[in-house]
Amino acid sequence: MLKLLLKRLALAVVTIAIVVTIVFLAVEALPGDACTSFLGRAAKGNRLIMCREEFGLDQPAMPRFIEWITAALHGDLGESMARRDTVAELVGIRLRNTLLLGLSASAIGVPLAIMLGVIAGLWRDRPLDIGLSTFAIIIMTIPEFVMGTVLILIFSIWLKWLPGIVITRPTAPLSDFLGDIILPVITLAGIMTAHIMRMVRTSVIDVMNSEYIKMAQLKGVPYWKMVRRHVLPNALVPTINLIALTIAWMLGGVVVIEVVFNYPGIGRLIVDAIGDRDLPLVQGIALVLASIYVGLNLAADILTLMLNPKLRTMKGH
Amino acid sequence: MNIFSKFLATTALCATGAISLSAQAVSAETVFRFAHPVGMGGAESMDPIGTNRFYYAIIITQNKLVRISPDGRPDASLAVSWEASDDARDWTFNLREGVTFHDGSAFDAADVVKQFERIKDPANESPLASALALVDSVEAVDDHTVIFHLNNAHADFPLLLTDYRVRMVPSEVGPNIAETGIGTGPYKLETLDAEGTTVLVANPDYWEGAPKMDRIEIIGIPDAQARVQAMMGGQIDWLLSVNAQQAPLFANNPGVTMQSYSAGDWKGISFDVRDEPYNDPQVRKALRMVVDRAEMVELVVGPDGGTVTCDNPVAPTDQYRVDIDCPQDIEGAKALLAEAGYADGIEIEISTSDLDQHWVNIAEVYQQQAAAAGIDVSINVEPSDGYWSDVWMQDPAFLSWWSARPADQILNEAFRGDASWNESRYNNPDFDAKLDAARRAPTFDERAKLYGEAQVMLWEEGGTMIPFHLNITRVLARGVSGFDEIDEQHIRWHLVSKE
Repeated sequence: MLKLLLKRLALAVVTIAIVVTIVFLAVEALPGDACTSFLGRAAKGNRLIMCREEFGLDQPAMPRFIEWITAALHGDLGESMARRDTVAELVGIRLRNTLLLGLSASAIGVPLAIMLGVIAGLWRDRPLDIGLSTFAIIIMTIPEFVMGTVLILIFSIWLKWLPGIVITRPTAPLSDFLGDIILPVITLAGIMTAHIMRMVRTSVIDVMNSEYIKMAQLKGVPYWKMVRRHVLPNALVPTINLIALTIAWMLGGVVVIEVVFNYPGIGRLIVDAIGDRDLPLVQGIALVLASIYVGLNLAADILTLMLNPKLRTMKGH
Repeated sequence: MNIFSKFLATTALCATGAISLSAQAVSAETVFRFAHPVGMGGAESMDPIGTNRFYYAIIITQNKLVRISPDGRPDASLAVSWEASDDARDWTFNLREGVTFHDGSAFDAADVVKQFERIKDPANESPLASALALVDSVEAVDDHTVIFHLNNAHADFPLLLTDYRVRMVPSEVGPNIAETGIGTGPYKLETLDAEGTTVLVANPDYWEGAPKMDRIEIIGIPDAQARVQAMMGGQIDWLLSVNAQQAPLFANNPGVTMQSYSAGDWKGISFDVRDEPYNDPQVRKALRMVVDRAEMVELVVGPDGGTVTCDNPVAPTDQYRVDIDCPQDIEGAKALLAEAGYADGIEIEISTSDLDQHWVNIAEVYQQQAAAAGIDVSINVEPSDGYWSDVWMQDPAFLSWWSARPADQILNEAFRGDASWNESRYNNPDFDAKLDAARRAPTFDERAKLYGEAQVMLWEEGGTMIPFHLNITRVLARGVSGFDEIDEQHIRWHLVSKE
């Protein structure tokens, strides 16, 4: 068990290192740098040379990358090139906002998905299941920016019930965002629910068809007791991984939602940072997002191990 | 199930709470909100003479010495009057008395002297340094009189001071101005956060009268679509501009009013006159004669989106603008091309990019129109990243844009032989001589004649195709008044009010 965990952890670190390297190379490969982007048509002659010196861009890529890695390992993500702030500070406040959005969506989406998935699975092929499943497929096929825009059109522009575009300052207390996040949370939770619900439904159907459930039925275990004691625990374990993946996807996929709603989270920040060629900031965000993604997957694996005695006792796996 | 229904109820409670919270935020205070595109990526600074100035906040918080009146002439602002020496090389400006900065200090001659020192200081890398290279020194005669000593005569020198960047800040504030933004304007800076919300509050002591609103909030929304949606949802009071495709969204909306004005900004194709075949003036003229400018306006910016111009960079509202007639002339262009040795047609390549929303369309319309005269245009769409460093003024033919400038400034900055931003590398000593002579000419009529001749020269032999000057269409929330139909930097912000 411990050996397995350590192996997983090492793999996670390697994955993050590879992601950060690829992101660095990708941003380097883009035409232009922070200085040409920042100075625009004034990016010429002495001014360009001075700007590059100031940002250390006159150094070749390799030493810069090594310097960044060394500092990052000491917990220093450096200073943003385009913004007058440290990367840690910028990322911190934006991550807080994104987490508010992502966790609210998960808090609504995950329980809702499990409930609907179980209902659909237990009443398989009945009108209720067909209705829910069709609805889920429709939601899954609508791109999130379309759903976001349609929600803004209905609730913000036509009905004027809710703010459509977030105009709250990024550093405002979280409570100021409560009104702002309703539409983005509905969008995200909708997509999450659709994905997870279909998985839960399949899982429930599989378990309901298994031998031990047939046995329980033959033994005369009351239906709801059987569902609670035997179906749910066995059906939900395989979905833990999917839920973790979906939440991880959401933290990365929230980019589109944040741009649509002008939500001041980490997704909008990375889009702007790439536009500005703000390399330290892009690197910092990539590191944070990759860590969250890998971390969530690791957590899901561990949780699955803990809930599944068969896997837990396996040696040297 | 039980837990879940509890959870749902809590969420619903939170949501209703949030709605009532946001309703409460609307109090007796008048707040005017608008969105800006965060053009400097969050590094926006309040230093008016710096490279990454926060234009929208600066125009509301700081004043110029001289502003421009709607008819294009210089008008008193922090300077109340001025006069030139006989040779137009020494200009005496009388400054307004009793004006205070937002920090309470008095505005006087020392502030003017210091600001021009900062502009000229190479360490500040001010883009204004070359635009104002003419200013040799500024001398304070007394607290409210300064003399500008020029190194060359300039009869229209006050117009140079109407540049949107020449704004007055306190002499003691030093480099902190980037954060403090202290000026003499109708609103003062409270919070600077270009990516989030920048807050300006009313300056009750403003020298032209107290502003009519309590606060102005400038919200950073980089996404153009999101800005439009914020306006449609009534979250902002002013949408800077809409294009021809977006305008119909607001056309029948009772909650907004729309304004259109000629901005003087232009976009065009520059041909490097040092390269084949553009080194032949006949070819250049032919390349520009093939354009049906009215059709170009219609197709690129919509029928009301632009004012036709004949490769003349001087804005339609400028006092020195001359009107030239330039109907599409395919036969004339063919004849010129034949004379230049291209009787069988000519192939050219134009570089463009989607850095600007209209550039690719301009190139495409040009391609179609030029084809009729046997000009085979191929279009290079370059990445928008690095366009200014790798394509602009590097490729033989490329798209460019310019913001509005007074006639003297645009002609000298973009077309003078030795100007660093002379995109087409057009170099004609006669043209430069006319610009110099105009600066020395003592009367308006003489200057108008010389600037007019210079504009005609550009149409006859210049290397830049300028099909139109842009009209800007903007959207205002109903109930906003005092917002004149002019460029935002000329708006009298203290008169703007909101119901």
